[in-house]
Amino acid sequence: MTQPLLEVQDLHTVFSTKEGWVKAVDGVSFELHPGETLGIVGESGCGKSVTALSIMRLQRPGFIKSGRVMFKGEDLTKATEAEMREVRGREIAMIFQDPMTSLNPVFRTGWQVAEPLRLHHGWNAKKSLTSAINMLGKVGIPSAVDRAEDYPHQFSGGMRQRVMIAMGLTTTPEVLIADEPTTALDVTIQAQILDLLRHVNQEFGTATILITHNLGVVAGMCKRIIVMYAGRIVEAGPTTDVFAHPKHPYTWALLRSIPRLDADRHEPLKPIDGLPPNLVDLPSGCAFHPRCAFKIEKCSRDVPALERVGDTQLSACWVTQSGTELKGA
Amino acid sequence: MIGPSRVAELDMPGAAIEGASTRPAQSYWNESWERLRANRIGMAAGILILIFALIAILAPVFSAVLTHFQPQTIDLSQTFSPPGGKHLLGTDELGRDTLTRLIWGARVTLGVALLTVAVSLTVGTAVGMMAGYYGGWLDDVLMRLVDTVLAIPAIFLFILMSILFRPTPVSLALIIASVGWGQVARLVRGEVLSVKQRDFILATRSIGARHLRLMLRHLLPNVLPVLIVAASLGVGQIILIEAALDFLGLGIQPPTPSWGNQLTNAESYFFHSIWLVNFPGLLIFVTVLASNVFGNAIRDAFDPRLK
Repeated sequence: MTQPLLEVQDLHTVFSTKEGWVKAVDGVSFELHPGETLGIVGESGCGKSVTALSIMRLQRPGFIKSGRVMFKGEDLTKATEAEMREVRGREIAMIFQDPMTSLNPVFRTGWQVAEPLRLHHGWNAKKSLTSAINMLGKVGIPSAVDRAEDYPHQFSGGMRQRVMIAMGLTTTPEVLIADEPTTALDVTIQAQILDLLRHVNQEFGTATILITHNLGVVAGMCKRIIVMYAGRIVEAGPTTDVFAHPKHPYTWALLRSIPRLDADRHEPLKPIDGLPPNLVDLPSGCAFHPRCAFKIEKCSRDVPALERVGDTQLSACWVTQSGTELKGA
Repeated sequence: MIGPSRVAELDMPGAAIEGASTRPAQSYWNESWERLRANRIGMAAGILILIFALIAILAPVFSAVLTHFQPQTIDLSQTFSPPGGKHLLGTDELGRDTLTRLIWGARVTLGVALLTVAVSLTVGTAVGMMAGYYGGWLDDVLMRLVDTVLAIPAIFLFILMSILFRPTPVSLALIIASVGWGQVARLVRGEVLSVKQRDFILATRSIGARHLRLMLRHLLPNVLPVLIVAASLGVGQIILIEAALDFLGLGIQPPTPSWGNQLTNAESYFFHSIWLVNFPGLLIFVTVLASNVFGNAIRDAFDPRLK
């Protein structure tokens, strides 16, 4: 495989709260290769977004306790604020969950899409606007010349997300982090935005990190996925393998909790028992063990490391690491 | 174009309606302006203030063309002339023309109000923005400073400062602004705290904007409506404060005319020369009222939900 573009190594990001330290990201490591689309899945509060924000060093009020974020041979966690500003928007761009609030209501969209060009290339208003209009057309905004004159409130949610994507792409970054880009949109618009992201990935060769809690979204988009639970990666591997043979009970339970077209019609969906853990006071051992159907005695005592299970997958589970297959009613 | 034609087709119907060229490009500012224009009383108040401001700016012209007197020309043969004749609004105890002094007084009074608003708005916005944006210890320090300023009984501070610094229009404006900025700082901080939560601030950070650019280019325009409302309401308050200080002899010192110190003078003579009280009093009343009405109109225009 080629040299990774972005390498996150043992990242720990914490938040200080009245109840104590919250380990929002607790030892996360992964690689992103040029041009690939990597999915990060997990439920709300599992540390997906904080991981993404930590890469951009925008995790405030959180604090990166340790770990490295290697990007083009440089450790971003040690970069100065000025160096980070050069990376943000120029080499790594980000799209946020809620397109309704991600655009500044007082500026024309064309002006906003052009902002990264003025910031990073020092282009004047006219030159940057021409380029921005061009990009708005490429992301599928009809009559982009006129629409660039409009304000964000004159766009629908899906259109605004396109505008956000255009803004991210103006400087042709190498990495695009999409943090739940479709969560706030309805289903048909979701499909369009995902289509657009796929095409962006193909046309510009932009490596994409797609963060979502929607397994359906990653299934169609990503070759490789990472599953997170309580600030840790519990499973990683090629999407098809992870979906076909999950090697972590959390992934296994997650897959059984969503409806499938090929399932028996009368088979009920099986929700995961219990609640996500309190990040201030994590269970001992594996954080998932109180909700796990396969737990053994060791699970409540020792924290499992992420290790190779099977040919292609990584899993942090004592049960599967010992060779047991996950099966059950 | 990126995206298969299917995507484009799905988009087109809605987009075609939205993109129709007949639809006027209505910005937030345009809409607010339209709403303000529709408010007749508010517009009348605004125009009145504008006329007063024009008269104040053109005081020398009025003095030369309309009244033919200078504000400090004393004519002891013409003391206490009633309105009419050569002196349209009468004269005071030294035979000075009331209308001329009111016109020149507008300069001082409105000038002080404007300068005060400008200073307190600038300082207050800077402090409020830093406190709200950076938060943490800086917020604590700045806001406790504001609390302290707001806890000092203003009138005693004005009296003390007026004794220490001889009141000129500029020093008087600074004295009043030294308290006024606290209110503005609180207002701005509150607004920044709410705007800061929205994703576009994070999005703007994520494209590599520095803090200063974010505050001035992206945050300030979002706070501007609040500032405009504060400014227009503030003018009225400051005119009242200034009039009170003048009246107490702590404001603008005679012979420089201001509406407030003309009232002070009139106090001793109002039994026989009521016009000396009526005209400056009426001007203060009308101007403050207009400023408040206009301020409310602007607030309604910017935030129709408040109506």
